[in-house]
Amino acid sequence: MLQHLCQILYDSHFGTMLRESDNAFSVVESVHVLSITLLIGTISVLDLRMLGVILRPIAVTRVARGVLPLTWAGFAVSFVSGFLLFWAEAAHMYSNPAFRAKLILLALVGLNPLIFHTTVYRRAHEWEMLHVSPWRARAAAIASLTLWSGVIVAGRAIAYF
Amino acid sequence: MQTSQWDFAIVEMVHLIALAFLGGSVLVVDLRLLGLILKGESARTIGRDLSRTLLLSLGAMVLSGIALLSEEAGKCFYSPAFRWKMALLAAAILFYFTLHRRALLHTDTGRPNAWSRVAAIVSLMLWLGVGVAGRAIGLL
Repeated sequence: MLQHLCQILYDSHFGTMLRESDNAFSVVESVHVLSITLLIGTISVLDLRMLGVILRPIAVTRVARGVLPLTWAGFAVSFVSGFLLFWAEAAHMYSNPAFRAKLILLALVGLNPLIFHTTVYRRAHEWEMLHVSPWRARAAAIASLTLWSGVIVAGRAIAYF
Repeated sequence: MQTSQWDFAIVEMVHLIALAFLGGSVLVVDLRLLGLILKGESARTIGRDLSRTLLLSLGAMVLSGIALLSEEAGKCFYSPAFRWKMALLAAAILFYFTLHRRALLHTDTGRPNAWSRVAAIVSLMLWLGVGVAGRAIGLL
């Protein structure tokens, strides 16, 4: 069923055009890398702030308000460009182990802020000024840094299968 | 480095992870310098703290970059994209330690003046140029 859907995308006019184009695929790929840099680079600033590595004098919520719009912008662009790349190679992606690993990591890395924002971050006003955030916030930060690095590793590995 | 494709892949992965950290540090500092985010917070503090992540990730990128280069030295020597990348990298680092730093110190908690804004835009353009030229090495 999923495999069939991937084959339909792969065979579609747009998918074929993108795959066989001289430049379009490379351009989308470059946009994908750049937007991932925006996404992970900005969220890592918040993660490192909560760990107390950088920006200690600035409230966690201030840092969050500064970087999260950039993180979301990076996410939107990398999601769209990533879907286009998938579209072009869908039939190969279905069975690519690195691609599967990347999707699993993305699901986990999405779950992390969901838990974080509904639990410890709701009381952020109590600890936003602490130089080092409470352990649950630090755990979320370490999970974020680890999982996003994993996404990069898995994403790069896709080309090797 | 010329033995296994996975050795090469692992170095590429390190290069990309460091790129994310470098890109984030540059962007946050320059957007503060432009007065677009974290207004009112000390640009001096932000610049100093993020210079640690920036320089650490730059170090990781240079080391992994040298390892990548050892695999493809012949190709890179003749690649105009690689030459552009090295020239832009040298310019970006030089600018970062000189005029860019002065702009950060000068702005501190205040609103940026025109020169600080220009410094932020030049910095963003130089680092972006390094990245674009780097991507082009694999394409041209």
